[in-house]
This record gives sequence, C-alpha cells and structure tokens, in this order.
Amino acid sequence: MSDLDAYRSKAAAWLESMVPTYGKAARKGLSEADDLALARKYQKAKFDAGYAGINWPTEFGGQGKGHLEKVTFDTEEMKHGFPSFYFGISLGMPIPVLMQFGEDKAWVKERVLKALQGEEIWCQLFSEPAGGSDLAGLRTKAEPDGNGWKINGQKVWTSWAHYSDYGVIVVRTDPNVPKHKGLTYFWVDMKAPGVTVRPIKLVGGDSHVNEVFFDDVKIGDDHRMSPVGGGFAVAIATLMIERYVATDSAGFGPHLDLFVELAKDTELNGKPAIEDGRIRQQIARNYAMRSGLQSITARAMAMMQAGMTPGPEGSLNKLVAVRSRQKLSELAIDLQGSDGFTYDDHASQKEDWTSSWINAPTGRIAGGSDETLLNTIAEKILGLPQDHRPDKGVPFNQIPA
Amino acid sequence: MSILYDEGQQAIATESRRVLEARVSKEELLPLLETSGRYHEGYWTTAKEQGWTALALPEAYGGLDLGLIELGLIAHQAGRSLSGAPFLTSNFGAAKAIELYGSDDQKTKWLPGLASGETIGAVAFASGANALPARPALTLTGERLDGVMTGVAGGLAADIAVVFANGPGMPVLAVAELADVKRTAIATFDNSRLYADLEFAGTPAETLVTGGAAREAALHILALQAVITAHEQAGGAEAMMEIARDYAVTRRAFGQPIGAFQSIKHRIAEIYGLVELARANCIHAASREGQADFITAAAAARISATEAYDTASRDCVQIHGGIGVTWELGLHLHTRRARSLAIEQGNLLFWEDVLVDRLTGEAA
Repeated sequence: MSDLDAYRSKAAAWLESMVPTYGKAARKGLSEADDLALARKYQKAKFDAGYAGINWPTEFGGQGKGHLEKVTFDTEEMKHGFPSFYFGISLGMPIPVLMQFGEDKAWVKERVLKALQGEEIWCQLFSEPAGGSDLAGLRTKAEPDGNGWKINGQKVWTSWAHYSDYGVIVVRTDPNVPKHKGLTYFWVDMKAPGVTVRPIKLVGGDSHVNEVFFDDVKIGDDHRMSPVGGGFAVAIATLMIERYVATDSAGFGPHLDLFVELAKDTELNGKPAIEDGRIRQQIARNYAMRSGLQSITARAMAMMQAGMTPGPEGSLNKLVAVRSRQKLSELAIDLQGSDGFTYDDHASQKEDWTSSWINAPTGRIAGGSDETLLNTIAEKILGLPQDHRPDKGVPFNQIPA
Repeated sequence: MSILYDEGQQAIATESRRVLEARVSKEELLPLLETSGRYHEGYWTTAKEQGWTALALPEAYGGLDLGLIELGLIAHQAGRSLSGAPFLTSNFGAAKAIELYGSDDQKTKWLPGLASGETIGAVAFASGANALPARPALTLTGERLDGVMTGVAGGLAADIAVVFANGPGMPVLAVAELADVKRTAIATFDNSRLYADLEFAGTPAETLVTGGAAREAALHILALQAVITAHEQAGGAEAMMEIARDYAVTRRAFGQPIGAFQSIKHRIAEIYGLVELARANCIHAASREGQADFITAAAAARISATEAYDTASRDCVQIHGGIGVTWELGLHLHTRRARSLAIEQGNLLFWEDVLVDRLTGEAA
C-alpha cells in the first residue's frame, strides 16, 4: 500500500467514525443556526484529529502535508454530507491569501488558528452588481482617510457574509488609470460600523449568499494586502490558489446509479423505463462523459504524485459535469411524470433530482459561468484571440457606463 | 497498468507521429477515394517496417510483447494522419482471437505471419446494424462455412478472417482462409478502407471456441478493437480541432480573426472538451485490459470517441465556411473517416446497449 493509500484509509476510517455525530442523519431537521453550531464542532474535531489545514505550513497551525493528501481527504469527506461547506470559502481562499500576503504574522497566525478550528469565518468580497465576469470592472471605492482608508460601495453574491467575522475585499483606489491598475486588496472587519449584510434568497430557497453594503467604512492602512493599485494581481492569485480541488463528475448532483435505479423502477409504456432506448442512450452517454472526467482527475492525481504538473484538461470538470447534471435532472423529473411535481427545499442536491435540477443553474454561474470557462479554455489553452474589449487601456473613469 | 505514459511510450507516440507525418500526405489519400479496391500501401509498409503489426503480440510468435496502450498511441497518430488502411485494428483483432482462443497449432500457424504483417487479418462479426447478431449470417457445418458477410473492413485484401458463425446449435468463433472466397468491393464514402462483401461457399474453417464462450470471446475481441479504433477516432478529432484552431486565428472577418468571435471560439473550446474526454476514456480503457470492467471501459471510450470525431469534423467544416466543403482542402477525408470508424467495430447504438447492460448487471 502506498503512503497515499494508507493516508486515505486512515482518513476514511476517521470520517466514518464521525458520521453518527455530524453526518446527514444527525443534521436532518436542524435549523441553520443549529447546523452551523454543529459545523463549528465538526471543524474543531477535524482540527484536533489533524485534518484541518492539511497542506498548510505548520508555522500557521497547518499539517505541512501535500496537496494530494488534501484532495484525498476532501474526496473521502464528500461522501458523507458533513456540514463543512460553511468554511469552504473561508479556508479555500481568504485564509490562504492572508497567510501569503498578511504583514502582521502574529495576528495572521491567530486568525488562521481560529478559522481552522471553526471559531471564525472569512468571506471573499469580489463580485459587484456591475462586475461579475469582468472582475476588473469593480466600482466599490476606497479613498484615503487620515492614515487609513474609507470604503463606499456594494458587493454581491458574497457567500456566508452573514456569518463572517472578516472578509477580503478588492476595491478601486484610483479611477484615473485603466481598470486593472486602479484596484487595491484589503481585509475588513465584517462587524465594523457601516457594513450592512443583506441575505439574498436563491431559487432553491436557501440564502447563503448576500449583498454587502459599505457606507463610510473606515479601515487602517495596515489592512492593505497589496501595493496600492496592485490589487488585481492578488485577486487573480486568490482565484488560482487551488487549481486541482476535489471534483465530482456528477456535477455535485445525484450519482448516475440513482438514475439507473429510477429507470428500473419506473414503468413507461407498460415496460421498465430502463428498456427504453432514449433512456438507455442518456445513461450511456452520461456514463461515458463522467468516466472521462474521472479518468482526467485520476491522471492529474497520478501526475502530481509523480511530481509532474497535470495538464489543463482539469478545467473541464465544472463546465461539463454541471451542464449534464442539469439535463439528466430534467430527464429524471420527466421520467416521474405526474409524480415529478413534488419538491422539498431541504432535500439533498446529491440525492434528490428536483433539488438537483432547481439548483443546477447556480453551478453553471458561480465560480465562472460556462461562457467564461469556454473563453478561458479557448484563450489560455487553445491560443485563440481575446474577445473585442473596447475598454482596454482606457482610464476607468472614462469608460462609458 | 499505469495511466501515465512512461518515456518509452512517449517515444512511441513521438516517433510514430514523425514517421506518419513524413510519409502520409493528402495528395496520396485523395485519389484513393475515387476508386474502390485501393488503399494506402505506403502506410501499411510503414506499419510493417516499424513493427507496429507485431507490437501487441507475444514474443513467442514474433511479437514485441507490448500492449493496448502502445498500440493505442500509434492508432492515435494514425487517426491524426488519416492513414488509409484498416489493418492495424483488424489485424490485431484477428491475431488476438487466435492468441486468446486458438490451439497451440493454430497460434504457430497464424501468429507469426500476422505479427510480421505478411498475413493480413480481418474480423467479420457484424450483420447490418447488429455488431454481434443473435443469428449470425454465416453457418458452420462440419468444418465448412457458408453465407455472406457484408461490409467487412479490409475484407478485400485480407488473407484470413475471424468470423462469428452459427455452429451446430450454438455460436462459434472460427478462422478461415479467404483465398477461395468470392469478394465484392463495395463503393463507399471512404473507399480506402477496402470494405467488401465476402461470400463463403463451403469454405474450410477452423473452430476457435464454441457455445456461450464464443459470444463472450467475440465481444472481447470487439472491445479490444474498439479501444484501438477509439484511439484512432480521438486522434482524428484532435487533428480536426487543431485545423479549426489554426484557421480561426488566421482567417479574418469584420477586421479581426474569426477566432475572436465567441460563436467560433466556444465551438472550438467545446471540441477540446470532447477530445479530452475521449482521450481520457481511451487511456483508461487501454489500462483496464484483463480487468473485470474492461468491456465497460471500452464501451465508454468508444462512445465518447465517436461523439468527439463526428462533432469535431462537422464543426471544423462549418468554421471553414465554403472552403471547407471543397474536394481539394480535404477536410472531407476526416468527415468520411469519422463516419466509417463510427460503424466499424460496432455502432454507437451497440456500444450504448453493451454499456447499459453492464451497468444494470444484465450482461451475458
């Protein structure tokens, strides 16, 4: 057994032992507040068992292991429905950026340890109403204010902002230069005066994303995490931190086995639907697509294990998997016919076709829309030209709104 | 078997690409389409010289003892270059049938010739839409074959054929010499594949395996061939993607390269996705030879590679506009090959059924 296999089986055994306390059944029926409280305990248990900050430096309280161990653990963890998502953004991007760019190391270490133990949560304040795919088009501004800065503007789609203690934020500090050059990167205290968080209810009924308003929010210059005007580079570094993460060829929707079961159990024209050619074709093509993604991931892991750099094809995962999840979920509802109307907004997207279907559009937009991903593949991998960009090189305050 | 190519395997890919790019040209391939009964002999000579026919066969019979992964790498390059001879796949399939199911005498008799490429093998199982028919078109009585096999890839030039036939009350896998078999060349949209109808009339044949095991054996041989063909399809799809990309960065319209338009760039990015999924499934399938899930993996490779090649060739022509449908440019060589490979070794419908049968536990 390789070291990684040994690590996997030890992690799997530990995760298994956590299921009675923190698994799907234990969480059933909890209010979000109670679920979050349970999540904080689970995060602490992970920390105590040595599974928090797996690939982070030990000087900040991490485990000092490799990226492979981290992905291995995440892949095993994904199987059980633990409440780990509250910390996904926090530990995924803001905290690693803080470790890399935070100046006051003692303060940084304190934050990292509290985040790793589930005591503090960080959010990432990037998107704005007028700047989604175009990250450099941000309008929220920070102006010099005494020895520090004063922030005014609005962010949107900020995951878990309503539970966050701190956030990292990119704002415009100079509107007189082209858009990429006038941005600066800060951290903010989400409890500071002038910060207002307003949850947005999404189509699936949940409200984990928010609008965040900044009205004369004052921060010290020691909150700055990039050179003035150098925020875009840090923002991009944030987005690039973990190129290979635990993936799911089902697009974070139900496993294909569940569709096969449904097709076996459903009668269509007097026969099991599994005998219908249209259904069989969809199953076969979905299987081929998913097995392809799994092989890409397996190869990427093997390459990393061998000290090589994986190819760019890992970028296909979200694009291909979520689209197919959306269509397969539609078909699953079709297959249930008049039994397909029922909806339970607490049902799991991994197990319930209706929940999977109604939430699938989020997956095709968040973290880069299909169109953005296709542009990235076309430009970065295939060397096709950039889209026509009329605002290129134009000072931000001269771009027509 | 590892899913990462080692240095030796990478060298096979690089070298076979170099050789094929040097020896196969559009100018040689286009005329082959206009007559039936001709194939790209230069390619077959190259395949023999390079030892590709011997690659995946046992050393004891003149082979090189390598496997599906290595042969797949060469098939990928053959697909890229459109090398016009069907024998790499069918020769291998016929040889594997004899190696896996034949007697020592049969192996000694056939394998060295197949390994050197001096003997050309074909595999003839299909009957129309049925890649592995419940009632095969051939009947084996005693040691004699009767009946007609239609559309056998490479059938016009092959020396021997491994066939799936009705034996005495049970299916049988047998090998027959084709010297005295009446062959009719078929005029097709991809003439260099040498498709032929073979008319067996009391043709002597040797049994390899009979009964339920014969059907399983035939499916196994088809799956081995399907993995090779899938590599060829993935290679062809990759070539079409690159041709489309190269055209999109040079051809200009409305004052900019057409590749700057999302309707074009996204189309090519989508092809990239299909090519990479097909490639991943091919590598996976080749690495699963001998494992319980091999047929499943082969079916997945076949399905995604067929989709990749058809889509890539369709969209590549579309991106080119008018020039794309000219005889001279030759994109149609890929369009034709995408369709002929989609039918060889079982069509998409067949492999979709095989895959779902495996997933639902209804496999034979």
